[in-house]
Amino acid sequence: MNDASIDGYAKALFEVARADGTLDEVEDELFRFARAYESNDSLRSTLSDQSIPAGKRQAIVEDLLGANATPTTVQLISMVVGSGRGSDLSSIVDALVQRASSAKDLEVAEVRSAVPLSDDQQSRLRAALANATGKQVNLKIIVDPSVIGGLVATVGDVVIDGTVRTRVEQLKARL
Amino acid sequence: MIAELVSLFPQAEWDIDDDGFVTSAHPFFPPVWEIVLQSIATIVVVAVIVKFAGPSIKKYYRERTERIQNEMDAAAEARQQAETEATQIRSSLGDIDAERSQMLAEAREQAEALLAEGHARIDEEVAALHGRAESEITSWANRSGDELRVEISSHAARAVDAVVAESIDDALAQQLIEDFITRVGAGQSPVQGG
Repeated sequence: MNDASIDGYAKALFEVARADGTLDEVEDELFRFARAYESNDSLRSTLSDQSIPAGKRQAIVEDLLGANATPTTVQLISMVVGSGRGSDLSSIVDALVQRASSAKDLEVAEVRSAVPLSDDQQSRLRAALANATGKQVNLKIIVDPSVIGGLVATVGDVVIDGTVRTRVEQLKARL
Repeated sequence: MIAELVSLFPQAEWDIDDDGFVTSAHPFFPPVWEIVLQSIATIVVVAVIVKFAGPSIKKYYRERTERIQNEMDAAAEARQQAETEATQIRSSLGDIDAERSQMLAEAREQAEALLAEGHARIDEEVAALHGRAESEITSWANRSGDELRVEISSHAARAVDAVVAESIDDALAQQLIEDFITRVGAGQSPVQGG
């Protein structure tokens, strides 16, 4: 799928979520689902498989998310998967998040952590990143056990890495 | 007539018997006149023979002599030729011996050269094998060292993963997050790039 199509889908999702009044919540849920979707090869190949009927792929999405996400989020993901754009789901969601952040004049800050962050930690981290980058950020937390400990934040082209994984990798490289 | 002829000879060693045959008084020798007559007859016969048969006999003997001479000459020539051939054969034998000796010498020389070359090649191969073996031993030693180092590094890396993963409890995880927030807020970002 080309960028225009991805942007078209992202814009459509954005408008639906904004019209529904759940933009922030839907955006966050979509973002977290996209990250999980990226890391799960089986799920990604299943939802991208055109030989599986669209109704069945949508049923899988509804079974997975169900009560764990808002109905709008489930419907939007189901719509993307049902239209045969499952392979572009992550790109569409990223474009939506970028669009939503731009609408609020924010920069997307993708933060990976081994453990969930409390609201207080997220608030202080948002402020710290704003101070470090000079931009207000739309914080997106991804729980990723592979980082082992610490955080890694990506704001635009800037990567701030304070993870144990990176230090371990550096130690391994020295070994 | 015989009596008349005998009467010409005064000797009495002979006699004439009653039947008119001349008899000799000597038991072994005839009477002289018989000897004379026989001699004359013999001379006549010999003269006739010499006169008429002499040339043929001489010719025969001359031809025989010539034939014998020719045969002797041929024999001498044959002998000479045989000696020449014998000389040539001896020379050839000598040449064969010389050639055989030369061939043997050349064969021996070639064999020695081949042997020397074989020794040299074997020495080179042995040296090459030694070198290769030493190289391989060194290589194996280095490779073993490298493999050992890699193995140690691999184990160390796994050990690091395990030790680090086990050593990070909730408190430490929270402490790491707080340190990150504090350092980023203070402008002491752990790593920055783009």
